[in-house]
Amino acid sequence: MDYALQQLLNALAFGAEYSLVALGLAVVFSIMGLVNFAHGEIIGVSAYSVFLAAALGLTSPIVAVLLAVVAAALAAVTFERVAFRPVRYAPTTTGLLTAFGVSIVVQNLFMLLISPKPQSVSILNSLNQMWFFGPFAVSSLQVLELVVSGLTILALVLFLNKSTLGLAIRAASRDFATVRLMGIRANRVIATAFAISGALAGIAAVFILARRGSVSPDLGFGLVLKAFVACVIGGFGSLAGAAAGGMLLGFIEVGLLVALPQEYGGFKDALTYVIIVALLVYRPEGLLGQRIELGDKEI
Amino acid sequence: MLTVENLSVRYGAVAAVRELSLELGRGELVALLGPNGAGKSSTINALTGLVTPTAGRIVFDGRDISRTRTEDRIRGGLTSTPEGRHIFANLTVGENLRLGAATRRDPKGVRADTDRFLALFPVLAERYTQAAGTLSGGEQQMLAISRSLMSRPKLLLLDEPSLGLAPRIVAQIFDFIGQLKTEGLTLLVVEQNATQALRFADRVYVVSSGALRYDGPPAKLADEHGLLNLYLGG
Amino acid sequence: MSESAEIMAARPSDTAPRAGNPQFHRSLVGGLITALPVVAIGLTILAFAPAYYTHLSLAAFVNLIIVVGLQVFMGNSNIANLGHSAFVGIGAYGVAVLSTPLAMKKLSIPNAPFGLALVEFNPLLAALLALCVVGIIAAISGKIISRLSGVAATIVSLALLIIVHSVFLNWTDLFKGNQAFFGIPKVINLPAMLVASVVVIVIARLFKDSRWGLQLRASAQSPQAAAAFGIDARRLRLMAWVLSALICGLAGVLFAYFAGTISPKLFYFQQIFITLAMLILGGMATVTGAVTGVVVLSIGLEFIRSIESGVTIAGIQLPQLLGLSGVALGVVIVLCMAFRPGGISGRLELDEQLSRLFRRNAR
Repeated sequence: MDYALQQLLNALAFGAEYSLVALGLAVVFSIMGLVNFAHGEIIGVSAYSVFLAAALGLTSPIVAVLLAVVAAALAAVTFERVAFRPVRYAPTTTGLLTAFGVSIVVQNLFMLLISPKPQSVSILNSLNQMWFFGPFAVSSLQVLELVVSGLTILALVLFLNKSTLGLAIRAASRDFATVRLMGIRANRVIATAFAISGALAGIAAVFILARRGSVSPDLGFGLVLKAFVACVIGGFGSLAGAAAGGMLLGFIEVGLLVALPQEYGGFKDALTYVIIVALLVYRPEGLLGQRIELGDKEI
Repeated sequence: MLTVENLSVRYGAVAAVRELSLELGRGELVALLGPNGAGKSSTINALTGLVTPTAGRIVFDGRDISRTRTEDRIRGGLTSTPEGRHIFANLTVGENLRLGAATRRDPKGVRADTDRFLALFPVLAERYTQAAGTLSGGEQQMLAISRSLMSRPKLLLLDEPSLGLAPRIVAQIFDFIGQLKTEGLTLLVVEQNATQALRFADRVYVVSSGALRYDGPPAKLADEHGLLNLYLGG
Repeated sequence: MSESAEIMAARPSDTAPRAGNPQFHRSLVGGLITALPVVAIGLTILAFAPAYYTHLSLAAFVNLIIVVGLQVFMGNSNIANLGHSAFVGIGAYGVAVLSTPLAMKKLSIPNAPFGLALVEFNPLLAALLALCVVGIIAAISGKIISRLSGVAATIVSLALLIIVHSVFLNWTDLFKGNQAFFGIPKVINLPAMLVASVVVIVIARLFKDSRWGLQLRASAQSPQAAAAFGIDARRLRLMAWVLSALICGLAGVLFAYFAGTISPKLFYFQQIFITLAMLILGGMATVTGAVTGVVVLSIGLEFIRSIESGVTIAGIQLPQLLGLSGVALGVVIVLCMAFRPGGISGRLELDEQLSRLFRRNAR
């Protein structure tokens, strides 16, 4: 029973983290059709900012958390301004490849300017402790992941449903031109979407740092690949789908960890992807996705 | 109010609009007629800035807005209800109206305007918290026009308000357009449905193949059978 | 040419290309013209270059074949493929497992399953069998990918890369995992590589100009119009995917046969980055673009790598700049996408550019 609860918490915590990252991808994709492969490098910028600040003498974990979130949001907005704006109205493939290019550039800049090797960051280690509830031992980090992700998603839902800018983002996900006809500035809507996407990545970066205690150039890359897969199973562009897909991914991974014998543990990632691709055979549009309706006259 | 000089729009090798010049006086309702593919929607989109014209000058309310961004044109008092309505189907009726007023900073005025349109179109009040995508075509058109008016424009461009609607609804929409004119709003109405568009129009432009074919009062257009045929024959 | 005209020309009722068909001839000659610069470069290296450069150029030719293979899918379907190195890896590991001498296998993979530790095929047969495996895996993955929308297809191509890489790493009995797989017979030299490159370039060009290639390009541009003409885009995407995979698999086979030693990380993101940047820089719409991108970036990267490893300029030893080539690759992709999405060659093949040039001069 204890073991089952522990694995459930594991799955929820993994799932929550994937959901956060997948939501960041989906927010940007839904409004501008950009498949942001550089999302992992936003996590990277966030983590390296904390690393640099700690190297310069920062000791407060709270400041480090704030720094991580702010740095990530700024990085996301900067990427948009510098690299993605020129291809804003270009075909999806063009944007996707641009983002892939940005990802390569930033990853290699970490190597070039800091080091190709992992660097230790201990400032957030205090987030990762064991908490004891009577007979149960629980990782504080997993509880935090679950609670913070839940609250963040709640805040995002409120923002998207209550604020004018949030409504504009939702409207823009279907019909950007008409949002501009409301006099709402396209640049502002897109910058906000990127800032949200970045902030979500920054929160994920905090969790990664607390768990791994180190930064490396490809820190966010693998996580973002999984988040993409979460988006695809959820239905690309659907926010609810991204969150659900992330959770599902967490459960599949933990399920495989439990089910696979020790010596086959290395196949966990491969099998995760196989399961997901198999799901796509039955639902090519994803769990919560819709067939894209073509043929609406563009304005 | 609006002066357009020698406007041209090209999509690659295709010329959609050729050296079109238009003039709208304050409080006028002008109809822009023409067959399918005549360049009417391209003209409207050039006026709102959603497409960039290859040549020409647009002066609105005394300012040259040829290079102004769409958002700033709307903020300057020019707005458009696009062809096919383009209501935000995933948002509620209320949220659609709220986005229409996104540029305004007077909550009281916004509420008053909202109440006014809800009184005018009771169906919008009934469906206020429902997704706008569930409205019928005519209701969506009422919402789309109301949404445009929420920004309190000086000039409203209406692109094919009758598209795909039953004749009774079309008449109702045009009654409303006529009412807007009497309230002093300047309107440019793009239409294929000539009968309705000519009911309240002060003047008519006819375009075909991207160029201007007629410019004058509606009464004369009805006389000139050739022009009417040209336009109806499409 | 207007879109609809192109689609009209691509109607399924057209006859299949065959010898004697003028279009087939034009494509064949066009493909050979496109391959000419490659042949010229290859012969120059054979005649004059020292051994070190011969080795470098062999690697560049492998990249060329991969990029041409990538072009077959990406250029015609306009869907980004980020998983093609999976097939390169399967081709390379396929021949490694099948053709490595038994004495070597005793050392490297004594516990290989299915009795594979006890077989040794001749290199040609091994290559054919490896390509069969590539074809089967491509057909299965292609079945799935061709059903998905563009973005989802790209993500699944990535998933495929990760799955295959993970199998190489973890199926240690068969693939030696993280360690280098050595002892593969070195049977490929530069002339053989040259011939393979020319053949692949011509095949890619013939596919592009075939009715299938034309239909696929038409459906990528305007899916509904193409569907209205009865074009089955899924089947065509599948076809392009399998052909692309086979060409990439061939590149892997050739790589294994000239290098003699392979390891999983060779067929992972690094290779994806490089080959993708080559295709984008050259221009993915044409086979010429694929060739151009490989030539330009191979030379450029060699130059950057010499700086990267730390050079001495005017007596000052510069430090190692690891990551510089990666930054350069990424910048090439980003700048190309922003300012010249068509790449260097744009929409026309080399022979088309030449004939246009001559026509203009003749006037």
